[in-house]
Amino acid sequence: MSIDGKLHFNQRIQLITLSHDGIITTTDNNLFSWKKGSSIYDAHPFFEILRGFLLDDENTITEYSFPCIHLEENNLERICDVTIKLDLSEIIIMLFDYTQKYNELNQIAQQKNESILKSRELELKNEYLVEKENFKNNFIANINHEIRTPLTGIMGFIEVLEKTKLSFEQEELVRIIKRESKHLGALIEDMVDISKIEAGQLNIIHERFKFHDLIKGFKETYTKIAEKKGIEFEMYVDPNIQESLISDKTRLHQILNNILNNAFKFTDEGKVSFTIAKNYQRTNKLSINFKISDTGVGIPEKSIPKVFERFTRLQNDQRRSGTGLGLAIVKSLVEALQGDIKVTSIVNEGTTFSINLPFQFDILKTATPKPKKKKKFKLPTSDQKFKVLLVDDEEVNQYLVMKILINHGSFYVDVAMNGEQAIKYVEKRFYDVILMDIKMTVMDGYKTTHIIRNHYGDKEIADVPIIGFTAKATEAERDKCLKAGMDDFIGKPFEQDDLLNKIAKHLQKKTAQ
Amino acid sequence: MKLSKKVVLLGHFGVGKTSLFRRFIDDAFSEDYKVTLGVQIKKKVITLPSGIELSMVIWDTEGHQEIENTRKSYLLGSHAFVYVFDLTRSDTYENLNDDIAYLKSNYPNVIIRIIGNKLDKVNEKEIKKQLKENATPYDCLTSAKTNKNVSDFFIELAEELTK
Repeated sequence: MSIDGKLHFNQRIQLITLSHDGIITTTDNNLFSWKKGSSIYDAHPFFEILRGFLLDDENTITEYSFPCIHLEENNLERICDVTIKLDLSEIIIMLFDYTQKYNELNQIAQQKNESILKSRELELKNEYLVEKENFKNNFIANINHEIRTPLTGIMGFIEVLEKTKLSFEQEELVRIIKRESKHLGALIEDMVDISKIEAGQLNIIHERFKFHDLIKGFKETYTKIAEKKGIEFEMYVDPNIQESLISDKTRLHQILNNILNNAFKFTDEGKVSFTIAKNYQRTNKLSINFKISDTGVGIPEKSIPKVFERFTRLQNDQRRSGTGLGLAIVKSLVEALQGDIKVTSIVNEGTTFSINLPFQFDILKTATPKPKKKKKFKLPTSDQKFKVLLVDDEEVNQYLVMKILINHGSFYVDVAMNGEQAIKYVEKRFYDVILMDIKMTVMDGYKTTHIIRNHYGDKEIADVPIIGFTAKATEAERDKCLKAGMDDFIGKPFEQDDLLNKIAKHLQKKTAQ
Repeated sequence: MKLSKKVVLLGHFGVGKTSLFRRFIDDAFSEDYKVTLGVQIKKKVITLPSGIELSMVIWDTEGHQEIENTRKSYLLGSHAFVYVFDLTRSDTYENLNDDIAYLKSNYPNVIIRIIGNKLDKVNEKEIKKQLKENATPYDCLTSAKTNKNVSDFFIELAEELTK
């Protein structure tokens, strides 16, 4: 409808006639001002299609329709449906301008396609982030392995060094190296915990344990630390709390130890108090509140929301070491145990951490398994030295284990650089025990163990005690070692006594058979 | 000698057909995605080393997930089809083999070329490995954004169209 109120049906249509050589013979110029007498091929490249139709002698089609063709003239674009009629005498072109209709459709299509593309983009971004996260977690797991190996060497040699005759100054230096190495070890543990939390691989193991014994352990440890620092340590434990509870004992210990450790770290005078009180109890469930307060440096109000963030170290004090991961881990652990944690603090007056954690207990009294004490084994009596085959490709580990065993005086040690070499050795000589590293080049510990166990009829070879020796100190790794046919497992870093004890245990077992 | 050949760009929506079209014709690129409705047609005249002056009339068609949905009239009188897929979206080349088979059977005399576009967004080595593993055919990997391989592709096609 035009402004004069009359219908102009032809207003959005242009009619053009052409001769067979493409020259415009008539045009109403309703849409485009292509001149009569000019070539249609110069008007717009769309019309080039006509050449094909006209050149094709076998073509019997006389009418063609092309919807939604973008045609431009002098920077003005119209979206038209085009009909071409081929006649013997002339060619008729009809242009129907549907610009408005198509533009409306265009908006809908734009929205629809954009949303599909956007969601795909988000999917891709998500995939990328997951990939990145996995890479990071794998990296942390691998770097953990790589750091643990040399650290085992360092810790082991410190122990060896400690047992030698040292001057006062040397003793002090060894003490510092030991302290720093332990700190590095703790940092690795923190990193592994964080990567496990992020990967959703943090397993909570509910077990029955003696709650009051665990708390007593804290009392003993931190009373000594308090005495050393010259501060007070107060502790109150609600006597109504059951003797035995069910929760993840290891993670509970980690949470409380971390907070207590922080409290002592940041308190130079005054006291640290540790209160444990029952919140409520229903059937076999109870909630316990753990409150750890100190009179330390405190946390500025604006920094309180950040305390549970990763790599947050509020006090820029080099005397107080820390990775800035501890509280982030604590929070994640508390959440994994379905609890909550709060912090209140006043600068120069002190800080209080309050943790609520749920527990379960047995309504009927059941005997709580006594914690296993490490059993001490003695080497069987022998007038000959025990023959040990150490299979390890790390020079530092070889040297460390050799040093420990040779210093002990009861062992004769052969060293194989890898599994293949180990096989050659066991074929030549009988061993009393084999210490088998897992991750080795050429042939790993699992495969080597499998061959020793399955390829020899001679029991002296096939039944030799094998102790897995790995830098991955995980339960899964332990199971893998046992599945592969090993008798035992020792994680790196290890203590001299643990290594000797394990060897003694299996030598005793072998002698008894 | 002067020749005019019709080349149709086909493929899913958002794979970069219009970007390749604009890059080749106007040497321009925009990050903004603008849907193509129907078809846009532009011409580029190339003088080949043989002296032939070729008018490449390129039809940039609207994207469809299924090639059968492309309007038949757009494909009439074509000399070449360029099937474009997006290297970052596997769904744009999942049915590629079927689409190519459809084109070959319905348009046996038309040259068919396949382009994987948006090379700037992926690792070339990785994507080539992936395409090989999935048995995804392609003639050229391009980036309309960085202009990688775009002109070379169309010039090679032009040579082929004049053979």
